[in-house]
Amino acid sequence: MDVSIRMIGIASTFFWIILLAFFASAAYSVKDLHLGVGEPLLSVASNGDLLVSISINIENGGYYDLGEFNLTTKVADVNGSMLAEGSTFIPTVKRGGKVATFHNLTFNFNDLLEKGSYYIFNDANFSLAAIISMKIAEAIPVKASSNFSVPWGAPFYNFELGEPTFEPFNRTHLEVVVPLSFENHAFFDVYGEIRLRMYNSEGLLVGRGETVIEAPQGFLYNGFIVFHVQTAENIREGFFEVYFSTSLFEYGPLVITYG
Amino acid sequence: MVEEEKSSKSVAKKFAFKALKAFLKSFLFYILYLFVWSFLAPITEFVPGLQQTVENFVIVYIALGVLGDLVADTVFQYFFSTAKALFVIGYLALTLNGGMLNLTYRNIALTVDLRLFLMVAILLSLLGLAKSMLQAISYMNKKAEFGFKT
Repeated sequence: MDVSIRMIGIASTFFWIILLAFFASAAYSVKDLHLGVGEPLLSVASNGDLLVSISINIENGGYYDLGEFNLTTKVADVNGSMLAEGSTFIPTVKRGGKVATFHNLTFNFNDLLEKGSYYIFNDANFSLAAIISMKIAEAIPVKASSNFSVPWGAPFYNFELGEPTFEPFNRTHLEVVVPLSFENHAFFDVYGEIRLRMYNSEGLLVGRGETVIEAPQGFLYNGFIVFHVQTAENIREGFFEVYFSTSLFEYGPLVITYG
Repeated sequence: MVEEEKSSKSVAKKFAFKALKAFLKSFLFYILYLFVWSFLAPITEFVPGLQQTVENFVIVYIALGVLGDLVADTVFQYFFSTAKALFVIGYLALTLNGGMLNLTYRNIALTVDLRLFLMVAILLSLLGLAKSMLQAISYMNKKAEFGFKT
């Protein structure tokens, strides 16, 4: 009996040493694990979606392989509606190895507009939830999650149409000049055009015009739309329909009264 | 009279030897703890209270070990040995929150799944518990045999 008890003791001690050594070295390895997140790169996909790519560099200087690395990000608006979701999975990062990859988030602007045109004209704060999970030493699952607030800048912040001015153009037509202004608070440049339809107080279309806009990030745009209407029309009061067409999204009509 | 004196000297000698053995074992265990702790130290920044928790564990574990060594060659040695095994199981299960550790570091919620580690540790502690039981049975068995022979 003494021999068997001694053998149990030896086996127990041996496995305790193995367990503690493994656990301590796995925990110690965490300090040599480096996760680098780069600046987001913006690009426009062929279908017009906005692609946000974030470079991820993982350097595993620990004693063990890193398993099942997964990064998930979710962007939601103030009401909690999901705007974009991205996930990056790396099956294994070998010990002493480096892995560089991109984490992609796709924003569909038309989806965003379906949720409300508010974001075209108003700044807001989106919530970004980031979840990183991995298996340290391919045995100890670890999950870290955090929530951030991401400011959203409106591409047509403070969009305004000024009062139209009417000047005689010829005997039958008037030249209408409509000043327009906005600030591009978005994190992308706005290139495209703004189309305007002018209706009189009876709801009849009396004229239309358009202008090309180029508004880089942070740019305060001031411009005019010039077009001609027939003199005979009753145009002192009415409303405009404004249509926005950019490389990223289409929106309209935005109805603004005048007169 | 002389024999009585000799006997008391022998008991004192035995006790001193046991105490020395207990001290050396505790010292070695403490050195081992310091060595293992040097690996775990970097994560104390993320796990507040980890050092206190581990230190409490080490203090109680060493105390039970010292008591067990001081009463060596008696049945009480196995009581302490059993208590030590049960303490390891209970303390690990309680402090590791059943194997799912939830921590918060700044704005980050961290979840560490230590269920596998806890399961292996509990199994090894149960092995230690079984060993203590068997040792106690063996001790009582030998004592009974010795009593029967005399």
